[in-house]
Amino acid sequence: MLAEKYPLETQNILAKYPPDQKRSAVMPLLYLAQRESGYVTKAAMQDIAALCEMSVTEVASIVGFYSLYYDKPAGKYRVQVCTDLPCALRGADEFLSKLCENLGIKVGETTPDGLVTVEAVMCLAGCDKAPMFQTQSSEGITYHENQTIESALEVIDAWRQQEKQA
Amino acid sequence: MTKLVSLTIDGKQVTVPEGTLFVDAAKRVGIDIPVFCYHPKMEPVGMCRMCLVDVGRPMIDRATGQPVMDENGAPKIQFGAKLDTACTTPVSEGMVVIGASDKVKAARKDIVEFILTSHPLDCPVCDKGGECPLQNLTMAYGPGETRFLYDDKLHLAKQVPLGELIYLDRERCIQCGRCVRFQDEIVDDPVIGFFNRGRSLEIVTHSDPGFDSVFSGNTTDICPVGALTTADFRFGARPWELKSTSSICSQCPVGCNITFNVRREAASGGKTVIKRVMPRQNETVNEIWICDKGRFGYHYTESDDRLTTPLIRKNGELTPASWDEALGLVASRFSAAGEGLLTLGSGRLSNEDLFNLRQLTEGVKGKAALYTHMAGGDLTAQVGVAPGTDFGEMGKGTAILVAASDLYEEAPIWFLRIKQAAERGATLIVANARPTKLEAYASHVIRYRYGAEAETIAAMTVDRGPTTVAGHPSSVADASKAFAEAENAVILFGSDGLGLEGSQALSAACANLLVATRHVGRANNGLVGVWSRANDQGAWDMGLRPLTVDRRPELQSAKAIYVVAADPFGDDPGLLATFNLQPATFLVVQDLFLTETARRADVVLPAQAFTEREGAYTSGERRVQRFYPAAPARPDTWPDFAITAQIAQKMGSILEGRVPAAVFTQIAATVAAYAGLSYRKLAETNDQWPSVGSGVRRKGLYFSGTAYENKQGVGIHLPLSPTPLPPVNMQSFHLQGEGLLAVPVTCLYDRGQTVYPSALLHQRIGEVWVALHPADAERLGVVANSRVSLTLGGAEFDATARLDESVPQGVALIPRSMGIPINGPEAVEIRAGERVVL
Ligand code: SF4
Ligand code: SF4
Ligand code: FES
Ligand code: FES
Repeated sequence: MLAEKYPLETQNILAKYPPDQKRSAVMPLLYLAQRESGYVTKAAMQDIAALCEMSVTEVASIVGFYSLYYDKPAGKYRVQVCTDLPCALRGADEFLSKLCENLGIKVGETTPDGLVTVEAVMCLAGCDKAPMFQTQSSEGITYHENQTIESALEVIDAWRQQEKQA
Repeated sequence: MTKLVSLTIDGKQVTVPEGTLFVDAAKRVGIDIPVFCYHPKMEPVGMCRMCLVDVGRPMIDRATGQPVMDENGAPKIQFGAKLDTACTTPVSEGMVVIGASDKVKAARKDIVEFILTSHPLDCPVCDKGGECPLQNLTMAYGPGETRFLYDDKLHLAKQVPLGELIYLDRERCIQCGRCVRFQDEIVDDPVIGFFNRGRSLEIVTHSDPGFDSVFSGNTTDICPVGALTTADFRFGARPWELKSTSSICSQCPVGCNITFNVRREAASGGKTVIKRVMPRQNETVNEIWICDKGRFGYHYTESDDRLTTPLIRKNGELTPASWDEALGLVASRFSAAGEGLLTLGSGRLSNEDLFNLRQLTEGVKGKAALYTHMAGGDLTAQVGVAPGTDFGEMGKGTAILVAASDLYEEAPIWFLRIKQAAERGATLIVANARPTKLEAYASHVIRYRYGAEAETIAAMTVDRGPTTVAGHPSSVADASKAFAEAENAVILFGSDGLGLEGSQALSAACANLLVATRHVGRANNGLVGVWSRANDQGAWDMGLRPLTVDRRPELQSAKAIYVVAADPFGDDPGLLATFNLQPATFLVVQDLFLTETARRADVVLPAQAFTEREGAYTSGERRVQRFYPAAPARPDTWPDFAITAQIAQKMGSILEGRVPAAVFTQIAATVAAYAGLSYRKLAETNDQWPSVGSGVRRKGLYFSGTAYENKQGVGIHLPLSPTPLPPVNMQSFHLQGEGLLAVPVTCLYDRGQTVYPSALLHQRIGEVWVALHPADAERLGVVANSRVSLTLGGAEFDATARLDESVPQGVALIPRSMGIPINGPEAVEIRAGERVVL
């Protein structure tokens, strides 16, 4: 149970919203749950539904709507490459396919070591600095703009080193 | 008064209230603007862009604020640079809307082409084919071919069960959101939702069981494509092969208007069979909705277990016999019994059946009784809701008190209509011993203890009572004040936790409250019984009365008992003792099935189901409504009124037994409230809005879905009896006993004879259960979902224990018609674990 595992966080989040508008707390609670296991588990959705007085389906819909929430486990780092029109005009598609080639995976897949998952996403509001991607992990969200395939691989290498040291 | 505005749509002048949307204004004058996501019962969302129109507004001179005129003196119209969505744009004065131009057509063509990029167009195997808005609009606007790459078409799962009742075809979904919005906005069961976005969007459910809503079937009517289908009808038939018959749902007192679609088919050995049940529009009763029990529960009428021939007990065995022999025997024994004849009929019967039953019985000075656990039908005839009553109109200024009823389970469409009235501003007061779903919309919640129903309502009459419910700041006093001060007020009383005696007291208390607050004799005021059967009100009107305690002697002295459409011994084996069935008592059962009671009968007579014959029911609101024969009758069965008439004939008296219309004429001649009514009057219709698909081409399909137009009668609301009653005497009623108290509650899906034969519903019906408060369970050592054994009324039963915080402590809820007979509150003993049979 989310509320039992993180009593303080849960309470703090709920306290921010009026008691008759508990559903407003759904977004931060989802983040909390996702931090726990890298994605929002079914059980967590049920907990959050109960906390926010919503139906589980409604909570799941929110997870489905936002590309920042996941309902399935994946790599430790999610690399989300924008392939929307402005980025595409600056070579995002090629960037993405090269990246995948280098990692030996397809879009949506995870590297065998479980470290990196590559995804194609819609506009991240960094159009002027394309190609770009954001990474999402337990450390939060980071933007990587004006990327080349080399610079991207450097970022990933750094994670690998970090992993080894840990 | 709302301001009216005039505008021109495709050259036609329209005057509509300010705020009306184009799409509706156009429909009012017969112009169909194509839509997918818009639905007249829901807020517009403007998601699909199909409804594009060219909108021109009068030019206004900025300096003078006056309209600019052209050389002919007519106002100059300025059209927008882009097209507007007719479903989101409200009308304004002097507007000119063009929907029939080439520009608009081209735009619509683009939208259809776009929608079709990901649509399989598998119309030849699609259940919606033939009545599909997308199919029709593709024919009307679609491009002959697509410019998009065929290989890029998405291929998605085509058989996704959203629960066992509704299936989703992901490929066909055009993401209009009607289904999700219906569940959310209209019924507030948000158990289906969108998942993901764009082309990956899909409809999902996370409830347990999947798509857990008793209104789920309606989404298949309003889905503008074949993406949502019912397990009952999918792959069952093509819509154009179906014939339609108007009928009335026989499952609850709401009396939803329905249409049976039937087909003669090889699959059924050349027989004509019912393929599906659809809502038939009646805006004052069920609008264009029905609940899933009404949609899927009809299968009992086609069960193989139906009786097909009269049976006579010979040498202890029920043996097939001819009608002549059976009727002759029954007639002679009824004549011999004379005033010792006791007739027991139920609200499953039509008014014609009940009328004849009473005529036959009274012909020999016997006693006719109503088989029910609810009282108060005499009161609803006097202080009921007056003609003109419409839940759909109620809002601000109206108070609605729902007492001892779990409407979601007992009468789903009333739940819906009352919820909506509350959302429009009506003061909803929910009084019950336990929380129910309707409370979420209530402005006052009154919580009493089981047994204090009548007392609590009586307290409202004298405007006192400090009872408050945690989380609800209101008290009985606040609620009574709101009720008394409301311009209009309605009470619906049910039988949550009540037996006949309790129900009698409660109905009297409710009637008193209405009289005392002068909420009687006017439209949108009065008392409504949430009966357990479709025609209980009609049975009261036909003069049948329940067997209250004081009528027990009648039971015991009966020489012949005529049980029609009821199963007293099946419902309560303990009754056998009360009936004092001696070998000398002659028992006749007239039913569809060989019930427990029928097994003990001397003669069994096979009757026809309501789907096979004509008749009229009187709903809980006291609206008399006709149903028509949909499916061919089983050979050698007769409608109940005809069987009764034939018995009467053999007894030497003449009863009308040929056509129900003639029986109804007699009802109109003898029952005051029915004076002036006739089958022809009941078949009258009126204008209904929103207009629904109708006729061969069912043009309104895409406007509001596949519900049927009402062409065979909206029914007639009965007047109140001319002598309003003086305040009723309310016997007080108190529960005795300590320990655990068992109380009966109603659940929508039960093991009753008119539900259980629908195999489709078995998963929802589940095992027989008993619900306890966790604290009581702990005390008894009962774990959640474990088997328990219970002793009730001297008999032993097994059940699954449900633990539920909302059950009052000291109380065990036992569902009616699920296998444990319970007539009213009584003491129960519950033990954990399996019952050991020694
Ligand atoms: S399933 Fe039908 S009603 Fe629901 S969004 Fe898809 S097309 Fe619309
Ligand atoms: S609400 Fe009642 S009358 Fe209407 S469909 Fe359901 S069971 Fe039938
Ligand atoms: S299009 Fe890629 S960030 Fe906006
Ligand atoms: S946008 Fe108007 S009907 Fe869909």
